[in-house]
Amino acid sequence: MSNTVKNRVIGVDIRMDHTTIAVVDQRGNILATDSFMTIDYQDVNNFMTVLSERIVTIAENNGGFENIRSVGISAPSSNYLSGCIENAANMPWKGVIPLAAMLRDRIGLAVALGNDAHITALGEHVYGAAHGMQNFVIVSFGHGGLGSCIYSNGLPYLGTSGSAGEMGHTCVESGGRQCGCGRQGCLETYVTDRGIVQTAKEMMAASAQPSMMRSLETLTSVAIAQCCEQGDELALEVFRKTGDYLGLGLANVASVLDPEAIILADLPDEVFKCLIEPTRAAFDKYVFRNIKDKVRLVVAGLNNNERDVLGAAALAWTVQEYSLFK
Amino acid sequence: MKNRVVGIDIGVAITNYAVVDLRGEIIAHDSFSTLDYPNVDNYLATLCERVLNLVEENGGYEAMRSVGVCCPSSNFLTGCIENAPNLKWKGIIPLAAMMRDRLGLAVALGNNPQCVALGEQAFGSAHGMKDFVVITLGYGLGSCLFSNGRMHLGTKGFAGEVGHTCVEPNGRRCACGNIGCLEAYCAHRGIICTAEELLAESQEPSMMRQVEKLNPKMIAEFCDQGDALAIETFRRTGDILGRGLANYASITNPEAIILTGGIPHAGKWLLEPTEQSFEKHVFHNIKGQTKILVSNLKDSEREVLGASVLAWMVKEYSLFI
Repeated sequence: MSNTVKNRVIGVDIRMDHTTIAVVDQRGNILATDSFMTIDYQDVNNFMTVLSERIVTIAENNGGFENIRSVGISAPSSNYLSGCIENAANMPWKGVIPLAAMLRDRIGLAVALGNDAHITALGEHVYGAAHGMQNFVIVSFGHGGLGSCIYSNGLPYLGTSGSAGEMGHTCVESGGRQCGCGRQGCLETYVTDRGIVQTAKEMMAASAQPSMMRSLETLTSVAIAQCCEQGDELALEVFRKTGDYLGLGLANVASVLDPEAIILADLPDEVFKCLIEPTRAAFDKYVFRNIKDKVRLVVAGLNNNERDVLGAAALAWTVQEYSLFK
Repeated sequence: MKNRVVGIDIGVAITNYAVVDLRGEIIAHDSFSTLDYPNVDNYLATLCERVLNLVEENGGYEAMRSVGVCCPSSNFLTGCIENAPNLKWKGIIPLAAMMRDRLGLAVALGNNPQCVALGEQAFGSAHGMKDFVVITLGYGLGSCLFSNGRMHLGTKGFAGEVGHTCVEPNGRRCACGNIGCLEAYCAHRGIICTAEELLAESQEPSMMRQVEKLNPKMIAEFCDQGDALAIETFRRTGDILGRGLANYASITNPEAIILTGGIPHAGKWLLEPTEQSFEKHVFHNIKGQTKILVSNLKDSEREVLGASVLAWMVKEYSLFI
């Protein structure tokens, strides 16, 4: 029986384009990072080979493999309960992939897997804006969608089959916009980058009002937000409408969950600035009176580029320690 | 070991109370009118005296572990009734502390959805489930979420107000002051309102036209007799209820949603459109996986049983040991 404590973990953030690996200590200091292109590996087995080699190398160069306690991975469409990537819409690897088990076999350490919103919530709970909170909701705008993760009684609430948190697919407009998921009126179709752009296009088509948006080459939510900063009326109206939907969606979640805070993550700063006021106004209008004025709407505390590896590192600490090599 | 508790259900009209054993057997019960006591001190004097009498006749004071109370607008975290719109006692009333002083036993207080959910988990439809939602649907629409096997109360104890989530941004004004609340469509008053709207929209004959004071129970009976407008009333109700529940399920991915209270007695007239609309609106990962159940506990026992389960949740305490 060894008396030493392993004091480091590996956080892995797998995104569609690239994968980031970091060695992280107990206090959330990132000691070293490495990254490589995810899209170079259409075959998941080749990807796993490279990933395990890189993990071993970065561990050896930073305190040694024997000081690594475990590995946490953030990947889209992952299920923490099964340790699998399940039918990821945007990844080259199709079907159900038992990623956690595959990596554990290769490197001989315990591996935990979580999806974006779950990982973001963990990172914010351990190292960020949700530190010390028992009941809160993280809303993540990353990866073009709208995910959320609920903390209940101090624990992440994953639901009975690990699918909880699909706030982006709650219906806010009966018979509204067509969503990629096949249904109509989902919150996601109004408040993500794509939704904001569509709202802007609809508004420009519906009126002849002059607007700086009309002369933009590519319409993005950030570009529209920049128009707002220069006082463009129509652009302000776009964000007012977006905020109205987001405030409604958040109010419905808050009425059901009574959270201490709702934390918005992965929103560009410009967009957050334009969105927060109309969102709060709508939130106050729609939320149940007992909860009104008691829920903080705040921006995430971690940097966008660190959040996922830190969250993955926090996840690594939640699995039981295991080593093939003792 | 103390193997019995007292469960109390304070309803707006009637107070029910019972001595319950640890397997949920109701050993004895009694009731009296809540409305007779506009003053809460007088009410509690009567309640405590009656409870002590029932306890003495059924196992004795020394066998009672604790007391659970189910009451509208109650906050489990503070033990207070907080600004109940439907009770005569106004403001914030520290009911749990007041009863503990009088009885010398530990007292826990919860609202109806919380007590009902505890009862369903211990003795009813949610037995063995960890993640589920219980809906109380009658004059109001409330809910309680269980996460990881425990009640989700929220940070201030107000969680579960699904009745006041907005389902129609430009819809009906709710009694709470907000617009388009689910409760304004699916609870008692909302269903009557829908029926009246339907009657006003057309000249179609309907048995509902002959009644002076409609209620959901009558409308369900008219459905059984084939009344088209009555059936349409519940179809619209179910359509909106299904949408509200789908949003709830997309966020919480529960194993089951359990419907309790008077309105679900409308049976298939309400449940079929609700399920259809639920499946249409819920996120595809969850589709086909969430059971929508009607509680299998008796209406007359559900709240006192739930209150008795709540009683087991507080730390044992006795003034007299």
